[in-house]
Amino acid sequence: MKKTLLAVLVALVPLCAETIVIQNATVMTVGSKGTFKGSVVVKDGKIAELGEKVMVPAGATVIDAGGQYLIPGIIDCHSHIAGDGGINEGSVSVSSMVNIKDIINPDDIAIYRALAGGVTTANILHGSANSIGGQTLPLKMRWGKSAEELIFVGATPGIKFALGENPKRAGNPVGGRGAATPVAARYPATRMGVEDVIREAFNDAHTYKAEWDAYDAKVAHGEHPIAPRVDLKLQALKEVLENKRYVHVHCYRADEILMMIRAAEDSGFKVRVFQHVLEGYKVAKEIAAHGAGASTFSDWWAYKIEAIDAIPFNATLMMKKGIVVSLNSDDAELMRHLNTEAGKAIKYGGATETEALAMVTLNPAKQLGIDKTVGSIEVGKDADMVLYDSFPLSDFAKVEKVLIDGTVYFDRDKELVAQTAKEAEKKRLLEKEKAAQQKSTPARRPNQ
Amino acid sequence: MKKLLFSTFLVLSVSAIAEVPSAVAIRNAKIVTVSGPVIAKGTVVLRNGLIEAVGENVTVPADAWVVDGEGITVYPGLIDGLSTVGTGGGAPAAAGGGGRGGRGAATAATAGQAAAAERSWGPEDRPQTTSWVLAADEIVAGDGRVNTVRGAGFTTTVTFPTRGIFGGQGSIIDLVSGEKPAEMILVPEAGQYIALGRAGGGGGGGGGGGGFPSSLMGIISYVRQIYLDADHYQKVKEAYAKDPRGMQRPEYDRALEGVLASKRILLPANRLVEIDRMLRFGAELKQPMILYGARDSYLPEAASLLKKANATVLLSLKWPTPPARQPDGEEPTDTLRALEQRDKAPTAPAVLQKAGVKFALYSDGLDAPRDFQRAVKKALDNGLSREDALRALTLSPAEIYGVADRVGSIEKGKIANLVLTKGDIFEDRTTVVMVFVDGKKYTPAETAAPGGRGGPATDEPGNPGGNR
Amino acid sequence: MKILGLLIASAVAAFAAGEITFIQNADVYPISSAPIKGVSLLIQDGKILDMGTKLVAPKGAMVLDVKGLRVYPGMIDSATDLGLEEIESIRESIDTQEIGDFMPQLKALSAVNPDSEHFGVVRVNGITGAVTFPSMGGGRGGGGAQLISGQAALIHTDGWTWEEMEINRGVAMCLNFPSAAGRGRGGAGGMPADVQDMLGAPGAAGGNAQRAILDQIAKLNGFFDDARKYQKAKAAHLPDFHTDLKFEAMIPVLEGKMPLTISAPRASTIHDAIAWADKQNVKIVFLQPREITKAGPELKAKNIPIILGRTLALPENEDAEYDQAFTQPLEAYKAGVKFALGTFTTEFVRDLPYQAATAVAYGLPHDEAMKAITINPAEIWGAGDKLGSVEKGKYADLLITDGDPMDVRTQIRHLFIKGKEVTLSNKQIRLFERYSGRQ
Repeated sequence: MKKTLLAVLVALVPLCAETIVIQNATVMTVGSKGTFKGSVVVKDGKIAELGEKVMVPAGATVIDAGGQYLIPGIIDCHSHIAGDGGINEGSVSVSSMVNIKDIINPDDIAIYRALAGGVTTANILHGSANSIGGQTLPLKMRWGKSAEELIFVGATPGIKFALGENPKRAGNPVGGRGAATPVAARYPATRMGVEDVIREAFNDAHTYKAEWDAYDAKVAHGEHPIAPRVDLKLQALKEVLENKRYVHVHCYRADEILMMIRAAEDSGFKVRVFQHVLEGYKVAKEIAAHGAGASTFSDWWAYKIEAIDAIPFNATLMMKKGIVVSLNSDDAELMRHLNTEAGKAIKYGGATETEALAMVTLNPAKQLGIDKTVGSIEVGKDADMVLYDSFPLSDFAKVEKVLIDGTVYFDRDKELVAQTAKEAEKKRLLEKEKAAQQKSTPARRPNQ
Repeated sequence: MKKLLFSTFLVLSVSAIAEVPSAVAIRNAKIVTVSGPVIAKGTVVLRNGLIEAVGENVTVPADAWVVDGEGITVYPGLIDGLSTVGTGGGAPAAAGGGGRGGRGAATAATAGQAAAAERSWGPEDRPQTTSWVLAADEIVAGDGRVNTVRGAGFTTTVTFPTRGIFGGQGSIIDLVSGEKPAEMILVPEAGQYIALGRAGGGGGGGGGGGGFPSSLMGIISYVRQIYLDADHYQKVKEAYAKDPRGMQRPEYDRALEGVLASKRILLPANRLVEIDRMLRFGAELKQPMILYGARDSYLPEAASLLKKANATVLLSLKWPTPPARQPDGEEPTDTLRALEQRDKAPTAPAVLQKAGVKFALYSDGLDAPRDFQRAVKKALDNGLSREDALRALTLSPAEIYGVADRVGSIEKGKIANLVLTKGDIFEDRTTVVMVFVDGKKYTPAETAAPGGRGGPATDEPGNPGGNR
Repeated sequence: MKILGLLIASAVAAFAAGEITFIQNADVYPISSAPIKGVSLLIQDGKILDMGTKLVAPKGAMVLDVKGLRVYPGMIDSATDLGLEEIESIRESIDTQEIGDFMPQLKALSAVNPDSEHFGVVRVNGITGAVTFPSMGGGRGGGGAQLISGQAALIHTDGWTWEEMEINRGVAMCLNFPSAAGRGRGGAGGMPADVQDMLGAPGAAGGNAQRAILDQIAKLNGFFDDARKYQKAKAAHLPDFHTDLKFEAMIPVLEGKMPLTISAPRASTIHDAIAWADKQNVKIVFLQPREITKAGPELKAKNIPIILGRTLALPENEDAEYDQAFTQPLEAYKAGVKFALGTFTTEFVRDLPYQAATAVAYGLPHDEAMKAITINPAEIWGAGDKLGSVEKGKYADLLITDGDPMDVRTQIRHLFIKGKEVTLSNKQIRLFERYSGRQ
């Protein structure tokens, strides 16, 4: 038993931060070196060298990637995996006091499956039940590590806002306000109310910030006043005002996108990324002027009324108007093939291969403010890369290996072995338990 | 003469009655003190509820009732480190996962109802919080569970109010049966019980119809906010006390008072990720804490995390069990993870012992003596030594709660809490012959047979070394 | 350039059937045989009248030169609710899942909205045919645990009316076969939520559930017995005979002309259902079976075809292999079971070719994948003489592409449904063009 488990563990133990050379691949860097055929050297978790021909350092592990394609690790800008106990605190309209960071679940198999689909970083967001939701952060898909070790070090944290149907839902409960037994409705029930909730919250945030600024000033003067009460809810919004926290806004309709831009400007902050933003193409001009990024679906539509004007050309249209556009999944299944979602940008709207690939690599990196460390294959960046067995922007391709920080976290060959061992172990434990139960079956009843 | 009287007494075996002799001497018994070496044949003298003397050559006082200790082993009374016994409610369905709306006495119910009636709109509403409650104030006379668990050898429990998020403070009680609940109280304030809602991924999803908080992250942020508020509250109170002139008086907040009065907190953690999370959370809150549940502590990573953090652990004896079988012989929908857990969980005490982590075992609602004993047996079959098992149910919980100077071992001056058995206390066919709590004698009822120990048919044909 | 294309397309679309279209210089991928270069096709009255390398365009024919482009048969999605669902979250826009235990008389066809926006969206990616289902019971709407939910229809994805779209109004009878087996709704895996909706809630475990299942099967058998009695009474022209619409609808099923569709994830359910079908002497098609390797031998022996769900789906449970769904088509192929692909949805129908491509990535031969979305569905649904390949005599349902339709980069340049060139515009393209023009 121990032996098999050990074997399984060994099979899965990622090649640690050693020197690796990936040779003979078609490297789509999405960076300054464009697409070339050659090699990438990985050292100490970072990309050390790129070139048609490289010197293989002594002791390096060589991965022969002949016929294969190497791309930067995929970054999913909108995900809800790896969280314990629910990703929505929907009881109140402003739940900025809660934090995804507190509930990271490194055991979620969705992490592994995303990894096996080429995702190396995922932006884990609070749900969309609230006009102003909870605090968020990006994680690296370092399967097998602890919760703390998944956190993307150095990334600016975020917060999730939501507009449109979802945050209104609790304001329009089934049974409605005219129902025989009134059901407690949570404000807001309309888009007008959603705007109001946001503006009011920031109004309070300004007051809170002023209190703290006054306190800080006193302290700077050498005084010793009692610090104001820390209000976690307003604290997060204060950080938004101070540019220390990125705002991600779930939205669909053009009118609410524009509303958010104006409300943000009036309240003294900028939207960092509009999420979903399925009608973004209608107000691309305004989004571009505001400077927000847009993270959208390739071709989902018709599941809600606010999605009926969704078009698969959304991404490329917005891109052409100068917006940094990424394609995301918001789904544990879709995130496993963001490479082909990117391919759809070529089909719908004529993006080039690099532009399409950027939508799931460099662009989300820029949106999350982590493009100095990830998003493209450049010397000095983290060695987060994916090896495909054929041209990656196509459903014919499959992932062979995934590296994060220079460690191979997914290897299809090893995975197939591990799966067999896992099934054998499961069978063994089941039989062991069955035998134990049969031994004590005669007088035994399930719950004593 | 006294011997004859006593034997007759045994034969008649009435249900639990307390006898209050002035002095009792248990003579010629095997004595397992826990604090020192085992005394093969010795005497323990009890007087006025305390242990007057214990040793090989102790003189039996003239006025003492003598108990013939031939064939008897004397142990310190067992201490249940996390219990709800004494408050009159039922056994909790599942501990470790927290007692959101858990069971309790009448007062608990009204408190719970009051909380449920008003929907909470944020942390300011102090949802699911009754931090000021002391279990000591909720103890009732005549709780049947007291008799039951005493039959398993327990003389002391640390009973907690387990409702909501901040349930209140637990109290250490001795399981005497009497008119005045106050007699039972050993220590009224043993620490604040915190629960985080349903364990693991089964949490809210945040529809939030029931008010804030409705998700795990909501609960965690609420707890964090309470401690921030308590900190601020204390500072303001102190400043106000020093010089109130010109200052707005701080508003009385009994939730914060309750939190500030607690010298330690109990946090739930079963899965490895929860253990990791709670260790960091406790450190962030800067509160002395005990982790309860600790099901995954059999994992080496968990044990090492606990050791590194110098954590204190209450380990539940409710080992995970297989789900009910499917009717048509369908493949059970078990995961490998669940199977491994069920297989390995009973090794946790041995693992913790070896890693040097401070821990105690608690019954987690396993009232029936036979269930309790079976659970301990599983741990013994999985590497825990009898001495360590005993200590984890006596001196260790006493140390954890700071009452090792009063209970937890058989030493002169300590409270006279003893269990007398025929045979090793953790053996299948052992009978508990007598229990002393605060020097009062109790005899387990014969009618406790179904739950009682050493009844005619034990379900597990003695399988040495277990079924592993 | 685009405007010109639009004009031409609309001009072409204005041609009524009966006009002759001549497509020349095509690289044809017939599916039923190896690809041929330099082929011309003569299309008239909705059919491929003739095809070959040496054909000449007849006088008056509309000539379309597609040099450098490929011609494929139109793709067929074997499980959708096209035309019956507009917006998932709005019940008023959904016409699947009726109330009533036994509703064989319900026809999906006449509830199809030919102007549903979805048709325009799916046509654009080459889906020319689809089977649209009245539901398989359970889930949202009025239906509780419906046993027979009605007749699925095989339709073209274009037509002025549902009548014109019809290929076969009763291509299958939907049966929700009673079973206890879970539907893989476990843990972090499981089917997409809308697929689960279509399949209905998972059965409950436990002894009472066992009894309930047996009751249901008894009920089902009772209904079939009654239907047979009716069939006999009708044939015998008994004096007090009067038409019963429900039993009328059952007659083709009893005669073996209309198969029943059964959802059966587990091998045990498949086995039970096959035994039941044998007893009842009816034909069946399985929807979304999961334990294909286990059930394979029995399926192959009885020649029972299967419709596989989306390849791009999560594994059933935490322990299942990560590529479980990706390799299902390969499993079916290896087991020698005839299969077609279905998306079991409305809004993802256009991704049908990519579902097939994923199967290729994980081992299914390329040609088998193409068959699974063309000739196989045609044959499984009894239209093998009309659809599914580019052959003389079949409907001219054609894609004209600049590459492999399963490759996401491929563009479809022309689309023919029943011999008529269909405009490749839809609401989405119109919105795109409109907002491209915003300065």
